[in-house]
Amino acid sequence: MNTFRRLMGRVLGQSLLALAIVVALWFGAGLTDRGTVQLLSFLMLNILLAQSINLLTGIAGQISLGHAGFFAVGAYVAGVLTKTHGVAVPLAMVIAIAASALIGWLLAIPAGRVREIYLAMMTTGFGLLCFEIAKEWSVTGGVVGLSGIASPTLRSLQVFGWMVDTVDLFRVMLVATAIVLVLMRNFVQSHHGRSFFAVQASEIAAGSIGIARGQVKRRAYAISGAMAGLAGALYAHLVGYLGPDSFTITRSVEVLVMAIVGGMGTIIGPILGAALFTWLPERLQIFAEYQFMVYGLILMLIFLVMRRGIAGAITEPTRFIAPRAMKRRPDDAGKPVTLQAESNAPQNRPALLEVHDLGRNFAGLVALDGVSLALRPGQITALIGPNGSGKSTLVNVVSGIYDPSRGRIVLGGDDIGGEADHAIARRGLIRTFQDPRLVPCFTVRENILLGGQRHFRSSMLAAALHFPSTLREEIAMVRRAEYVMELAGLGAVADQPIESLPYGYRRLVEVGRAIMADPVVVLLDEPAAGLSEAELGRLAAMIRYLRDAGKAVLLIEHHMDFVNDIVDDVVVLDSGREIYRGHMQGMRANPAVRAAYLGVSQDCHA
Amino acid sequence: MIFAAQLVFAGICVGAVYALIALGLNLTFWATRTMNFAQGSLMMLCAVIAVGVLSGGFNIYLGLFAGLALTGIIAAATEAIAIRPIAHLTGSMGWVVTTLGVGIFLQGFVSKFFGSQALAFPSFLFSARDYVSVFGIRLSAQYMIILAIAVLLVLLFELFLKRTAWGRALQAVAADQDLAAVMGIPVRVVVTLSFIASGVLAGVAGVLVAQITGTVDAAFGFNLLISGFVAAVIGGMGSTWGALLGGIFLGIMEKLVGGYISTAAEQGIAFALLMVMLAVRPEGLLGEKEFVKV
Amino acid sequence: MLELKNVSVTYGTIRALRGVDLVAQPGQITAVLGANGAGKSSLLRAIAGIAPVSDGDVLYRNASLKPRPAHQRARMGISLAMEGRRLFRHMSVEENLLLAWSFGPRHSPFTDAVQAVYDAFPILGDRRSIKAGMLLGGQQQMLILSSVTIREPDLMLLDEPSLGLAPIIVSQIFDFITAYSKARGTAVVLAEQMAVMALRVAHWGYVLRGGQVVMHGASDELVKADIVNKLSAAYL
Repeated sequence: MNTFRRLMGRVLGQSLLALAIVVALWFGAGLTDRGTVQLLSFLMLNILLAQSINLLTGIAGQISLGHAGFFAVGAYVAGVLTKTHGVAVPLAMVIAIAASALIGWLLAIPAGRVREIYLAMMTTGFGLLCFEIAKEWSVTGGVVGLSGIASPTLRSLQVFGWMVDTVDLFRVMLVATAIVLVLMRNFVQSHHGRSFFAVQASEIAAGSIGIARGQVKRRAYAISGAMAGLAGALYAHLVGYLGPDSFTITRSVEVLVMAIVGGMGTIIGPILGAALFTWLPERLQIFAEYQFMVYGLILMLIFLVMRRGIAGAITEPTRFIAPRAMKRRPDDAGKPVTLQAESNAPQNRPALLEVHDLGRNFAGLVALDGVSLALRPGQITALIGPNGSGKSTLVNVVSGIYDPSRGRIVLGGDDIGGEADHAIARRGLIRTFQDPRLVPCFTVRENILLGGQRHFRSSMLAAALHFPSTLREEIAMVRRAEYVMELAGLGAVADQPIESLPYGYRRLVEVGRAIMADPVVVLLDEPAAGLSEAELGRLAAMIRYLRDAGKAVLLIEHHMDFVNDIVDDVVVLDSGREIYRGHMQGMRANPAVRAAYLGVSQDCHA
Repeated sequence: MIFAAQLVFAGICVGAVYALIALGLNLTFWATRTMNFAQGSLMMLCAVIAVGVLSGGFNIYLGLFAGLALTGIIAAATEAIAIRPIAHLTGSMGWVVTTLGVGIFLQGFVSKFFGSQALAFPSFLFSARDYVSVFGIRLSAQYMIILAIAVLLVLLFELFLKRTAWGRALQAVAADQDLAAVMGIPVRVVVTLSFIASGVLAGVAGVLVAQITGTVDAAFGFNLLISGFVAAVIGGMGSTWGALLGGIFLGIMEKLVGGYISTAAEQGIAFALLMVMLAVRPEGLLGEKEFVKV
Repeated sequence: MLELKNVSVTYGTIRALRGVDLVAQPGQITAVLGANGAGKSSLLRAIAGIAPVSDGDVLYRNASLKPRPAHQRARMGISLAMEGRRLFRHMSVEENLLLAWSFGPRHSPFTDAVQAVYDAFPILGDRRSIKAGMLLGGQQQMLILSSVTIREPDLMLLDEPSLGLAPIIVSQIFDFITAYSKARGTAVVLAEQMAVMALRVAHWGYVLRGGQVVMHGASDELVKADIVNKLSAAYL
């Protein structure tokens, strides 16, 4: 089965095959009957719709149960502008796409703030609202709808004075769809696409490497809306008539089913799903009769039976790095940029991170009570303390997940207290988490590559059009990621999905991702937990690498043996306050530390 | 003035029914932290079965009983086949899609075997024309009894929740499943019973709405589901009184907007209120802020 | 009464507990010690039925607990007080106690049972209508303990009851546990980070490190002059 999937993967990935299909369809349209051309036109529309929801839900992880709304916006804007206002067809189409993109962007603002159930309900509401507007508004023709839109069937579709017939329109749709697919594929295989997946996998983790989740969501909604809007505008001209019944919740469900059955999160999946569900209602009378029930059953069972859809079953998953960046090169792997190595001893260098009297309360509970720290370049500091002493809170406040209740945080001379987590990460303060938050379907290589997110400069357009500058950037980053993988000892599993690897690997990948980000300050939250002896060795090597490269490292840990071997300095917290600072040996004998850990009172003789 | 008062009255009554829907959604949310997207279809199904049984020559009350029993069972089945098996999948795509699937399936089933045309729902609680006059305002008797039933159910539910052992057990399961289990509470049983109860509530709500509108068709569940959800959000997820408050508030707003602006706007007000609420006070009027530990 | 034979607990791919053997006798307090992450909580949860036991067996009164879900074990007389002061915060003190009592054996009526609690901890009686989330740390711990004792358990599992509490309150709590266990013949498994205090009240002790037992014995053996150093080495 695996060889079959690999073969399919190779076959379906061939650009030449895709080009051949497009050419075949182009010429085939002129040779076949009108009914088939109509069907193929609908196929193009369904591909666009399925890919649009794939981008928003499958890739960016924002569930959308009202996608028919975007479809409606595109359709009605195009229809009303051309029919009622006599706007030229191409211009109307551009406006329609812009309108649906704008609506998407606006919807992202409230929708981006809510989770899961609320998001599902909100998008359902959005879809229903668009339907109601279409049904009630005189501009859209109300229940009766809008008829007489320029279309080949009425021989009224004219573009730049040239009469467009059914076959011509199909060819336009074919080319448009092909272009959109190419742009989408380029986009998904760039750092922008990867940032979408990062937000889906864990918004917090995405923030920790500098990805602004609000911005990502707005982009996802806008692009998805634009794609669905394009489909809508084309639909208006294909059928010449728009009625509200084309934009009901049924339509939203159909679009979702196509993408899910085809396989969300891949490029080829929604194409397959669209093909299946365009063909089935036409060819299977039974299907048309029981359509709803079939959709319902599919949705009920798909996650149990075929989690990744058809694409997941028959072919290898899409990879998210530009293919040309993956080709082997004879020269050696590039080394990450490092800070200038200072000549003074560690204690004398200016601190990279300073924390002054930091406090944080949670509804009356004092988690941090005036902690001060300074982290210097080339130094590894351990932060330890019993349960509930405030270690994780300290990291969470410094990294921007919580605002400080009092005190100051200074990074490289700037006061960063109160800044958002992704902004702080962009400044070079990177952290890891107690449980590794990676993108499960990404390979080791892709996960590590995510770490470099804050260094990528290519715009979305450049990525979609696959500019040479984008490719160069990708290649450089991939090489850097390879260096990091060697450091982590992960070269052998570079291209395996992280979800198939044991726990220890995930830890190492997360730390590798932090290294990839080329941080100024690194905060590691219990990285040693659950690792084997060999893995601990690798982890120590990675942490030493950071130190040698002149970074400041803060290490929260319980694993005392591990800490003992690599740290220079220890800070012990208890009840939100510092109770000891100095060397490891001194810590063991310190009465305050013993009291905190073992419950021995100062004057107790056991 | 009289017009406004009548609208407000109508809004209160409709809102009370929304509260029932919200209550049903709360139940499943408490029990499993999920929301049953099939809830709308369950509402529709109960009404359709009642009509079906009636047209078969049986008593309407028998039809109601059959409908409620069936929706209760289907709701429990939904939990067993659409929610529990995919509980291990992280993220919400799973149960949203599967419960949606159940809802769509039921809708398709009814469409296929009962037709997609609207079925007339008989007036069994007074006639649509009966009314009582209070200070010159005509209060429809039907509306009044619906209001009474809805409020009664909400009260009973609140009593159940706060005064009975099983009610407390449900609160416990909602707060902390592991803690509830080690206290001897049979979590599985509580979850199943919650779903049955939410199915019954959905059935009652569906019948009451069908009574007001006079018809029922395969698609009428979804709009109600959204209204119920908005009511729950306004009042605060997890609060019984919140559900009532939210429902009534939504009902009144809808009727006022519908009466003074347009029926078209009436549909949009729920959505608008949802957006505002989630932006301004996501925990709802009576809800408590949820704190997520990082 | 309680025996763990070669028990391992695995969460997904993480092994929290490896091959642990342990015995707890009625009327005696068995301390389980270790630093954070050593596996104490996993051990108690495995006994209570809310942690995945991947290997070995937990025997209660010589019968395996394997087929029994958590709520059944609770009904059989096993009562767990979880770590992190877990309570039903939205419910009042009395409601918490009522809930705990409702699903217990109910040998005595609630009014008597709850009065016994208030006799032991008068402050809870004073604050009986206050929401549990509003209580101070020590009071919350008293409530948790009372929720356990109101069920008249035969086996009490206590996960770090001293966490974040002042020594004097910890003393009070440990005194209560000792008295209760002696009077009722209840077996107690007490997981604690505060090793010295725990060993003072316990009869037996087990020290965990990295999910395995590294030291065990009668508490008076463990409590010797250099125990603090030994434990430091074990913990730190």
